Amino acid sequence: MEYTVHDFGSYKLYMIKTNKFKTITTRISFRTSIKKEEITIRNVLCEMFTQSSKNYPSKRSLAIKAEDLYNVDIMSRNSRLGNYMSTDIYLETLHDKYTEEGNFESALEFFKEIVFNPDINNKSFNKDKLNIVKNQASDSLNSLKEQPTYYSLIRMFEELDDSPSSYRMVGYKEDLDKITETDLYDYYNKMIKTNLVDIFVIGDIDFDKTKEMIQKYIKINTLKKEKTPYVLNPKKPRLKINYKSEKVNNSQSKLSIACLVNNLSTYERNYPLTLCNIIFGGGVDSKLFKQVREEKSLCYTINSVPNKLDNLLIIRAGIASENCKQTIKVIEKCLDEMKKGKFTEDDINVAKEFYKTALDDIEDNETQIMEDYFLSKTIDTDTIDIKRQKMKEVTKDEIIAVAKKIKIDTVFLLEGDQNE
Amino acid sequence: MNEIVMNGLEKTIYEEKLGNGLEIIYVPYEDKNNYIITYGVRFGSEITEFTPFKSSKSQKVPAGIAHFLEHKMFEQETGEDPFTFFSKTGTSANASTSYTNTKYFCYGTKNFEENLEYLINFVNSPYYTDENVEKEKGIIAEEIKMYADIPDWKLDAKLKECIYKIYPRRVDIAGKVSDIEKITKEDLYLCYKNFYVPNNMFIIISGNFNKDAASKIIHTKLDSKKSKTLPVVKNYKEIIEVNKKYLELESDVNVPKVGIGLKIYRKDLSIKEEYYLDLYLEMFKTILFGSSSEFREYARVNNLTSSFGTEWETADKFKTLLITSNTTNPDLFIEKIKSLLLNHEIREEDFNRIKKVWIASEVKIIDYIEATESNIYDDILSYHKIYNDRVDIIRNMSLETLNKLIKQIDFNNISVVKMISKKE
Repeated sequence: MEYTVHDFGSYKLYMIKTNKFKTITTRISFRTSIKKEEITIRNVLCEMFTQSSKNYPSKRSLAIKAEDLYNVDIMSRNSRLGNYMSTDIYLETLHDKYTEEGNFESALEFFKEIVFNPDINNKSFNKDKLNIVKNQASDSLNSLKEQPTYYSLIRMFEELDDSPSSYRMVGYKEDLDKITETDLYDYYNKMIKTNLVDIFVIGDIDFDKTKEMIQKYIKINTLKKEKTPYVLNPKKPRLKINYKSEKVNNSQSKLSIACLVNNLSTYERNYPLTLCNIIFGGGVDSKLFKQVREEKSLCYTINSVPNKLDNLLIIRAGIASENCKQTIKVIEKCLDEMKKGKFTEDDINVAKEFYKTALDDIEDNETQIMEDYFLSKTIDTDTIDIKRQKMKEVTKDEIIAVAKKIKIDTVFLLEGDQNE
Repeated sequence: MNEIVMNGLEKTIYEEKLGNGLEIIYVPYEDKNNYIITYGVRFGSEITEFTPFKSSKSQKVPAGIAHFLEHKMFEQETGEDPFTFFSKTGTSANASTSYTNTKYFCYGTKNFEENLEYLINFVNSPYYTDENVEKEKGIIAEEIKMYADIPDWKLDAKLKECIYKIYPRRVDIAGKVSDIEKITKEDLYLCYKNFYVPNNMFIIISGNFNKDAASKIIHTKLDSKKSKTLPVVKNYKEIIEVNKKYLELESDVNVPKVGIGLKIYRKDLSIKEEYYLDLYLEMFKTILFGSSSEFREYARVNNLTSSFGTEWETADKFKTLLITSNTTNPDLFIEKIKSLLLNHEIREEDFNRIKKVWIASEVKIIDYIEATESNIYDDILSYHKIYNDRVDIIRNMSLETLNKLIKQIDFNNISVVKMISKKE
């Protein structure tokens, strides 16, 4: 794989050349410091990109054009990256070898149309299209409880604090209702003019030709700077665990737990914490899976994941409500074992092997290579090869030191009280 | 070992059959790090009544047994947990049960030969005790409850109950908590011994591995296994008409949901070869309901649906189209779907465009070892062969054949399920 970067001032272009894939993936990312009140309008904007454009006035006409270009895939998403919000639009297209000469360029032109030539008239977005997106967003906000695992997590984060960790990335009904077609136009302009912009292209590409095409189609002429750090400020530890619950008409209860992991160095955050989590609750060989599920039969699902940029470790389980106390007890016991170093060198090696497989996996997937490269360029994570090396050298003492920083903070139970 | 060149996809795959009937497909890749090994058996949740070979007595086992058996396959007499074995080399392993089959798989980048050997070993070493069967019931009960809380899951279950009167597709894969309570170790051994036999199983390996080494291991481990005449599975005389035309139920949903099932008797359709038939049915579905269809545009503009899905399933002697949606106007949605099924026009430009899309998808999929494995798995399961000329088959599809097929379908044979909010 060959990498190259061009800084055009208003945006950076990152290109990766590899012949491992038959497709070429292009991504444009807009990034800005997160503001709670902007999440909903940004989600709406993100959807509007794939709803219509100036020259393709309906989603159907966009879909037909995409199909004509040998089924190019266009996807947009809005997500949080620590203190930032990132809106990413992807274009996946087959290499010209498998379609026809010039298809990739036509696809890029189409991509430009979608992002930079939206359905705007008289300084406002198309009202009918906006209503379609608002209605759909409203339906999905109204149906959040139908995804109990997700809903339990959202509620748990809201009970945790009021930092960006607690923001609902699905958006807020009250913000949604207020959005007008002119607000959206203003927000779009603000995003284009003030956000950090990065473009990535990966595939069997010619660097010079691709650069030329990108410059031909993507014209942004403003300079931006952002100083906000990506990692959130540490949350203040509580004296007592914060227990909260909500009753729902379900048969299973969803337990969500947030643990603070404060005062981590960048190295601890990226390596010992990752391995600590794998041993504690990362997979089917973890302490949580073995003790809570296999030994005590208390659940079907249980796992933990680190939210590295938030200084958090999250634990989730689906349980019967009457087993809640017992489950928490076993979780506490597993955590205590981590702190006391009750795990073997073998456990560490297993965790390292899992980490290694995950790294190998990245290299088999175009989008993941791009994502990894994106993170290395934005939040300064190491490259895959350096990760492989550093991970190998993590010691048991370093994992214990991180485990000792894990502290259960908020426990939320979405309590189901129905039986079959 | 036979070589199969996947035409137009720059890929060669290999197939082999052991003397005892076990089928093996190898899909080697040189430029990938990963591999996936899948060990499949044609035993799924729909088999709960059968007569073993040379027996006159029909055996009935509780619903959910195939899924229960899948969970218990991970229990070994040595006490070693297969997950732990695979974990040592960073390999993930798992299994899944569907209506028609069960699959066990591992996915990793290292230790290929040992992992293949281990996967074969553990799927061939059942170990059920009263105690370990009891212990699993708590875990599976939580799994059943997890799904029961998802309204879309409930809608799908109710829709299938409305479509099929007796065929077990109407029963949930995992069964009910009350069903699994009845499962004993004897039931598990009975199913295992009758269905987990080489002539009812297959192995698919896709990714970075050496096919000759893999073949050697498979021969060493499995040549000695004897084939066995399969039991006669109960022949359900499922009715041709849908079981129930309409059902309305209340649930904890804010936006109502609708499920529509079109039940088609296979014998009414004249396309003989299953693979071709499925392609044409899929084409019909894509033109009518795909992302570039007129219906989807209509539904969007009129705020008729907020989520929408369609799927064909093959069950017993039927091809069934399942349509599900969240909709604020269920009655209008139902009316629109019904009238579209009865009155529609298939335009040649749409037909040709979708063909182009499908060919592009075939090329894309072959880049991914898991997607390719999954495609081949479906081919082996549904058609007992791999179609290596799929690109040409798609290219040669004719509009005339599609139109003829559509005329053979009885579009009035549908079930409708409406799920509305309790508050209404």
